Amino acid sequence: MDASFAVRLDGVSKRFADTYAVHDLNLDIESGRFFSLLGPSGCGKTTTLRMIGGFTDPTEGSVILAGEDVTVLPPDRRNVNTVFQSYALFDHLSVADNVAFGLKRKGVDKTEMRRRVGEMLELVQLDGFAARKPRTLSGGQRQRVALARALVNRPAVLLLDEPLAALDLKLRRQMQVELKQIQREVGITFVFVTHDQDEALTMSDRICVMNEGRVEQVGTPEDVYEHPAGRFVASFMGTSNLMSGTYRGGEVTLDQGPALPVGARTAIADGTAVSVSVRPEKVWLSDFEPGMSVLRGVIRETVYSGPTTTYLIELAPGVTLSVLEQNTARARMEDRWSGGETVEFGWRPEHCLVLA
Amino acid sequence: MTQLSPPTTTPAPASERPVRRTRARRGRADRKPRVLIAVTALFFALLYLPIGVVTLFSFNSQKSLTVFSGFSLRWYRAFVHDDVLISSLGTSLRISLVATAGSIVLGVALALGLVRSRTRLGSLAGLIMLVPLITPEIVTGVASMLLYKGLGVTLSTGTVMVSEITFSISYVTVILRSRVAALNPEVEEAAMDLGATRWQAVRLVTLPALLPAVLASAVLIFALVFDDFVLAYFTTGVDPQPLSVRIYSAIRFGVQPTINAVGTLMLAGSIGLIALALFIPRLFGRRGGLDILSGS
Amino acid sequence: MALLRHPSRSRSRSRRRGPDASGARIWSWFMLPGTLWMTGFLIASLVLVAVLTVGTTDELGNPRFGFDLSSIRALADPAYTEVLARSLGYALLTCVICLVIAYPVAYTIALYGGRWKHALIAAIVVPFFANYLVRMYGWSVVLSDDGPLLRALRGVGLADANTKILNTGVGVIAGLVYGFVVFMIIPLYAALERLDVSLIEAGRDLYGGPVRTFLFVTLPATRQGAAAGLVLVFLPAMGDFVSAQLMGGPDQIMIGNLIQDKFFQGQNWPLGSALTMLLMLVLLVGMLGYLRRTRKDEAEARR
Repeated sequence: MDASFAVRLDGVSKRFADTYAVHDLNLDIESGRFFSLLGPSGCGKTTTLRMIGGFTDPTEGSVILAGEDVTVLPPDRRNVNTVFQSYALFDHLSVADNVAFGLKRKGVDKTEMRRRVGEMLELVQLDGFAARKPRTLSGGQRQRVALARALVNRPAVLLLDEPLAALDLKLRRQMQVELKQIQREVGITFVFVTHDQDEALTMSDRICVMNEGRVEQVGTPEDVYEHPAGRFVASFMGTSNLMSGTYRGGEVTLDQGPALPVGARTAIADGTAVSVSVRPEKVWLSDFEPGMSVLRGVIRETVYSGPTTTYLIELAPGVTLSVLEQNTARARMEDRWSGGETVEFGWRPEHCLVLA
Repeated sequence: MTQLSPPTTTPAPASERPVRRTRARRGRADRKPRVLIAVTALFFALLYLPIGVVTLFSFNSQKSLTVFSGFSLRWYRAFVHDDVLISSLGTSLRISLVATAGSIVLGVALALGLVRSRTRLGSLAGLIMLVPLITPEIVTGVASMLLYKGLGVTLSTGTVMVSEITFSISYVTVILRSRVAALNPEVEEAAMDLGATRWQAVRLVTLPALLPAVLASAVLIFALVFDDFVLAYFTTGVDPQPLSVRIYSAIRFGVQPTINAVGTLMLAGSIGLIALALFIPRLFGRRGGLDILSGS
Repeated sequence: MALLRHPSRSRSRSRRRGPDASGARIWSWFMLPGTLWMTGFLIASLVLVAVLTVGTTDELGNPRFGFDLSSIRALADPAYTEVLARSLGYALLTCVICLVIAYPVAYTIALYGGRWKHALIAAIVVPFFANYLVRMYGWSVVLSDDGPLLRALRGVGLADANTKILNTGVGVIAGLVYGFVVFMIIPLYAALERLDVSLIEAGRDLYGGPVRTFLFVTLPATRQGAAAGLVLVFLPAMGDFVSAQLMGGPDQIMIGNLIQDKFFQGQNWPLGSALTMLLMLVLLVGMLGYLRRTRKDEAEARR
């Protein structure tokens, strides 16, 4: 067995009554990575995390941690720690005692314990809070206690179950950066569950997109965003202009509208019904380059949102594309398009993806 | 833009009338509902009148229950020197202590199991647990008496203890069940995640989290058992008898002012204990409350 | 590597018992002592009562198991049916009176109590959980012929020298009401407190006057609380024997007094058991009626 994988899921399924929460999951998570499980609620990401942590038994398959099959081991005998969504702090213990809980279980001696707890509180910037009760802390602080309590045990893998979900947007952004920094500092494998694609994109080394208990795609953030493996990933990761049509010789003829030249990554037989996807920010509205597909459409809506403006352009009856334009210093307000105008827009063929 | 303006003008006249009407009505509603307050005041008066009467006449210098003829502690002195009543007091205290301890241990475990277990035994146990709550005490009393007779056990303080435990388990379970259900299950999982076995997780995390509720229900159960009369009446032996059974016989066989003194002490004691039970959660910085009595 | 990890291989593997399965077992162990205790001392004893219903007594009055229907047949005796009917009547009247008293009290506290709300409810609940016997004894003193209540009533001309409360049915019902009214106040108060005040205001807008609002908004919203209160009062009132003993005379005895008599003075345990089962039967009918009612309400709420 190859131990360079911190976590390996081998044909893991979890069935509740008649429905599969997770279905035949095969997943390798390399050591030292920030790995995200991303998907809508009910996609099985939390169940997957709980099976790694030992809180839920797989119905089938095995969970392998650092080369060792731990499928039947209870949580207390796995070298894995968890940051829970609710933080799950022990309210009757002080912050320091919360952090020391795992070390006490392991029988680490007092001085060593005090040193490690102190270090860890410093790492999460909570030195000075050691004697406080968790109840008296703010949401962000409680979150840090949960993190410190898990990390102090130096687990091989840290599992994080939507740890930022309860925080407000600003604090969440700040914690995203901090978490990423801490992960780099300690070098522990993080398995991070989230339903927020922005969060996954900004923090992860690898993202596993899940849907209905199955893996849709595993890859780097760039990979998953730029080259979605299917319709689900394309629409779940950010906004996509999804259009359906028929593939024929390097072109997709839309069901309603013109034929678009596409850059197909995989071989697709002629006559296959496919979807094509173009990201809104990949569409140009002027200064077209040679070789681009240029189309004409009517502006239906202009949505100004600070740094960007979104145009909804009707390409053909029933086919409306969303186009994102940066409001840079050079773009002046008077130049913005308004409703009803007919415009030209285009994209590079490689940005028009074919999704089988 | 011009298209949007006509609909905004139309509702304005229609909205004026109801606004004025509500305001007029609110003026009427804000007036104190004198009848309701009077009824409530009368209710409180009648609620405390019997308690007040017992307390007042416990300090009466004469034997009368209708004429107060001067302040005196003679009935309290009589109680302190009444060996039978004092030994009954001791018996009641012993019964309450044992029954509280027993029912807390069994009830806490039962509440934990009932909430967490999803087995068929769990739902069966949940049903059994409800039986004492929907059975009048006289039935439980008669049934207990029959059981001891059937088992050939002589009625004694011990049989009262066993029956009081049986009855109190339900209370403890009902009170604690909602508390256990309100606990975040992730906290126990967090303890196991940090290396605790399931049993250690219960001991180190769950029980401390339940401590305020457990203490409060212990105080409440102590008061309820100490005050209980029906069950004790059916299951006690001849001697020594619990205090409430003694009071019952005394009340039945005519006026004995000593009973006023004992009753006042018992009322004061149990009111104090129940108030304490309501207050305990606040000592732990939690929302205390009546939900401990209603169990919801 | 990838070739080795064939999904079919893991699927063929038998299901093993993992950590959460053993977790479920530990909770069953937690339940076991309490459940066994309750089964052994409560369920078994209730079964025993049911069995003794068809038992007999020997010459010394000791109960004997057997199969003899005479105790059950004896229940048809007018002496007993009359007591049963009286008990039912007293208990039902008690329920109605408790509802009439508890509703305004709970309503006033819930809606006008302000920051004293909790203190006021505590002031009701705390003494009710204090010694039942002493309270009833105090109540009997209050209701006695030259007690404070009758003296006050005589003072304002609402009673004359011959008016009695003790040793009458009124006295027994007064005792039952005083004993158990709290069980009506708690659920009503809970229902009224949950009631959104804006609902009442909306009702004022829709229906107009406070009376119509009360009838169409407040009352239906608290129906479940009232139903729960009725059951909670009915159960102990039906089984009570202290009130009839302290406030009533020989003509006011209830089924609880009969049961007590058969087990203590009369020493006819099979008949006592039969009476106990009869009492349980009445209560069960009441409970089932309540459950059907609430289930219907829930079904309506879902619709």
